[in-house]
Order: sequence, then structure tokens, then C-alpha cells
Amino acid sequence: MRISSNLNPYLLIAPGLLVTGIIILWPLVQLGQLSVSEVNRFGQVIGQGGAENYVKVFADPELYASSFRTLIWTLGVVLGTLLLALPISLALNEEFYGRGVARVLVMLPWAISLAMLAIVGRWALNGDSGTLNNLLQMLEITQTDIAWLARAETAFPMQILLGIVATLPFTVTIFLGGLSSIPTDIYEAAQVEGANKLQTFRRITLPLMRPFVNIAVVLNTIYVFNSFPIIWATTQGGPANSTDILVTYLYKLAFRFGRVGEAAVLSLIMFVILLIFTIIYVRLAMNEEN
Amino acid sequence: MSKLMKSLLIWLFLLPIFAITLFPFYVMATTAIRPQTEVFDQSWLPTRFAWENFVEMWTAVGFGRALANSLYISTLATALTLIIAIPAGYALSRYRFAGRTGFRRFLLISQMLSPIVLVLGLFRVLVLLNALNDAHVVALLYAGFNTAFAVWMLESYFSTIPRDLEMASWMEGASGFTTARKVFLPLAMPAICVTALFTFVNSWNEFVLALTLLRSEENYTLPIQILAIVSGRFSVDWHLVMAAALCATLPVAILFAWMQRYMLRGLTAGAVK
Repeated sequence: MRISSNLNPYLLIAPGLLVTGIIILWPLVQLGQLSVSEVNRFGQVIGQGGAENYVKVFADPELYASSFRTLIWTLGVVLGTLLLALPISLALNEEFYGRGVARVLVMLPWAISLAMLAIVGRWALNGDSGTLNNLLQMLEITQTDIAWLARAETAFPMQILLGIVATLPFTVTIFLGGLSSIPTDIYEAAQVEGANKLQTFRRITLPLMRPFVNIAVVLNTIYVFNSFPIIWATTQGGPANSTDILVTYLYKLAFRFGRVGEAAVLSLIMFVILLIFTIIYVRLAMNEEN
Repeated sequence: MSKLMKSLLIWLFLLPIFAITLFPFYVMATTAIRPQTEVFDQSWLPTRFAWENFVEMWTAVGFGRALANSLYISTLATALTLIIAIPAGYALSRYRFAGRTGFRRFLLISQMLSPIVLVLGLFRVLVLLNALNDAHVVALLYAGFNTAFAVWMLESYFSTIPRDLEMASWMEGASGFTTARKVFLPLAMPAICVTALFTFVNSWNEFVLALTLLRSEENYTLPIQILAIVSGRFSVDWHLVMAAALCATLPVAILFAWMQRYMLRGLTAGAVK
């Protein structure tokens, strides 16, 4: 006889399913309807639109410009984070004095909300004696104030840097988890066999870290691709849409430019892209499990 | 190589990294304590510490009301998330049922969907329901978006709690509900607290939904309030803004420093199962 309680698992998951389901599905239905409607500047549906919104979105040069920037933004933040996070995690995984403190110092940016980080960035990168300008001049690296956020050529790299700062702690956490899962006797065996540090790193650490790197890359890609606050709170995609990525452009279409129908189409496109990312992620995660 | 030598080398390597990770805190702290006249000065230290900034910003930034709003919405969101996620986490860790995998997949998708993709749709739904600019609705939405993570985290902890005690309680004739409440919940309390803290911090920091769905200043949460002060003004009192940013961030930073070791479980639990 199997002893079990009389609680029904379906009743237990019902609230979660219901709340999350409604919060996702109802807006999706709305977006679907909007995307095939004619919507005026004030967001009122005034008729059938057919494929018109779709045609407009794909004919819009800003879509391609901001898609390209989204690619640069995502690649820049994800790869930049990866390059920094690997050596940092390896260092933090060693036994050394003050390791606990060092870990906390690396993790701290996690505690700042993205919006707050962007507001701090807005001040630090200010063209009139912002903190970075003052620091650079006090250290005698530059002589004059640079308006970092006034031009895309300087603003966008700085935004990517802010993105890296914000993504680093999460990635290091995942890597540290991965490193701690590698059994130490493998290293001892390698040492007995006479392998040097570089060989052990290439032949043992890297291959065993692969699944964690994969998961971090896919998760970061999803988060960064979606990330709105950093760019919005520093430049709002400006000047003149020159730092817009897809999410900020979508937001402007919907809530600034009054092009609601097109914004709905773009939302749906992004939903599909995210779904594809998610499927890749599930595949990777399942591979690791087997 | 001695441990001391090795420690020195590692710290030397990490120093430039700390320069980057601590830079935001450096900016906030050094600007927040400067007297107004010295905000733009090129000096390492101000001539005096302007503690009055923290008093001034309270009214100048509208900190008090925004703080109350943030506290209210985050607390409500946390409570709602727990009410939803504890039973679901319990079900996933204790029962094998048809649709279990489907439910997990659904949670995963809901986790991957950032609010930004849905925000226009949500806005339309709330217009239909006449529920824009309502703190309670925003809290409910936060609960929905936090559910997946909370369920994974709770499930991974719940699975480590042995079932023997519950079985004993069932055999004594206690109902499933009584057992869950009297035997299981006390054991699960640490996990529930950690999950609650996470949800709270997530809600505290949330940006795009608050920005879009809270339409009037009396409902603004802290990030929205501070952004409103910064944007669309000709001159910004940065010393006050940074004092406010510091006050909004420090409590969370301290919580985080303490919680960070618990984070990995929830983050990877959803991932690998």
C-alpha cells in the first residue's frame, strides 16, 4: 500500500498556473489582436488592419538599425562578461586570504537595481564634471570634459560596460557553482601523472566547465537581449535613436510615438525569438542532465 | 609558493576588477556626502561631510512616499508569491502527476519572458479593466513574474526535507493539509524566508512595469521616482539624487551580501531539471 496524503497536486499548482497563465496569455491575445488592427495615435482600435502593421514594421529602417545594435549589445555584454567571469571565478575558487571578502566585492553590483545603476551611470558619465571626467582629469589621463552620453560612439560602449558590470555577479556565481562541482581527486590524479597547470586547465577544468559556460551564455543572452533599464535610464535610446536596441525601440513605438499596432507586431516577433532561445536553453539543460 | 604569496598575487589580479564592480558605489558615496557647492569639484575628498544631504533629499526627491510605495508593493508581491509558490513547490517535490513536466516547461517559459515583451499587452488589459495606476495590480503582476523562480527555489529545498515525518503524521490519521501545515512548513521555514527575500528584492528593483503601469507620482516606486527627478529637468541636484540612490541601494546590498550563497540553488535548480 502506498501511503500518501489526500492533498490533490492539481489543486496545489492551480493558483500558480492560473495567475501566471492569465498574466502571460491575456496580454499575448491583446498583442495578437492589436497587431492585425488599425490603431490610431491614442491607442484606439479604429478598424481592421490585416497585415498592414507587419508590412510597416518590416519596411522600417529603424527596425534593422536597432536589431543590429541589439546584436552588438548582446554580443558585447555576453562575451565581455564571459571573458571577465572565467578568470575571476578561477581566482575566487583558489584558497587565499580574504576570499570571502573578495567574493562579496565581486557580487556587490548585483545588489544595485539596473535602473539605479543607469542613473549612477548618467551622473558619472555626465559631460559637465561628472565623476568619470573628474577622475580622469585628476589622474591626468584627459584634460577636458567628455560628454560621454551625448554621442552614440561613446555612449553605447559605456552602456555595454554598465551591462557587463551588472551581468558579472550572476555569471561568476554560476561558474563558482560549476568549479565547486569538479571533484578534487581528478586534479590530484593529474598532478601525480605530472600534468602542469596549463594542461590541467585545458584538459580538465575547461571541459568540465563547458555545461556551465553554455548555460550562462544562453541565460545571459536572454536577459541581456531583454534588458531595458540600462539603455532607457541613461539615454532613452537617444540621441536621435542612435543607441536604441529592440526593447527600447519597442517601448518608444508603444508609449512615445503612438505607433501601437507596429509595437504589437514587434512584441510578437520578440516573443518568438525568446521562445527559440528558451528551446535552445531547455535542450542544453537536458543534455547536461543526461 | 606560499599561501601568502598566492593571496597577494590573486588580490593584485582582482584589484582592477574591484575598481569596476565598486565604481557605482564609489560614485554614489562620494557624491552623496559632498556639499552642494563642491559637487562638480575635482577633489578626492570634500572639505566637509555634508550629512544634511540625506535630510534634504528626503523631501527634495520625495523619498519618503516612494519608499513607502516600494515597501508596500514589494511586501504585497512577496506575500502573494509565497501563497502561490509554496503549494506549487510542495506539489512538485512530493507528487508525481500527469502534466508535471508540462507545468515545469510552462514555468520556464514564464521565467524567460521578460515583462518588456508583454508590457504593451498588459497595459491594454489594464485599460480594459480600468486598473491602471493601481499598486495592488502591480504587486499581483510582480507575483506572477516571480512565481517560476520562487517555485524552483522552494522545490529544490523541499526535496531535501525527508518525507518520513510527513508519512508518520499521515499514518497517525492527520489530513494532508494539517500535515503540510504542522509538520512540513516549520521545517521549510528557512527556505521560505530566503525565497521571500529574493522576491522582495526583485520587486524592489523592478523597473519597466512600474514605469509603465504606475501613472501618477503618488504611486511611484523608488527607481521611478529617482528617474523622474533626473530626467526632464534642466539642472539636477546630483548630490541629493546620489544620496537617495545610496539609501535605496544599501539595505539591498547588505541583504545580498548575506544571501549570495543561497542564490545558486534557485538559479540552477530550474535550469537542470
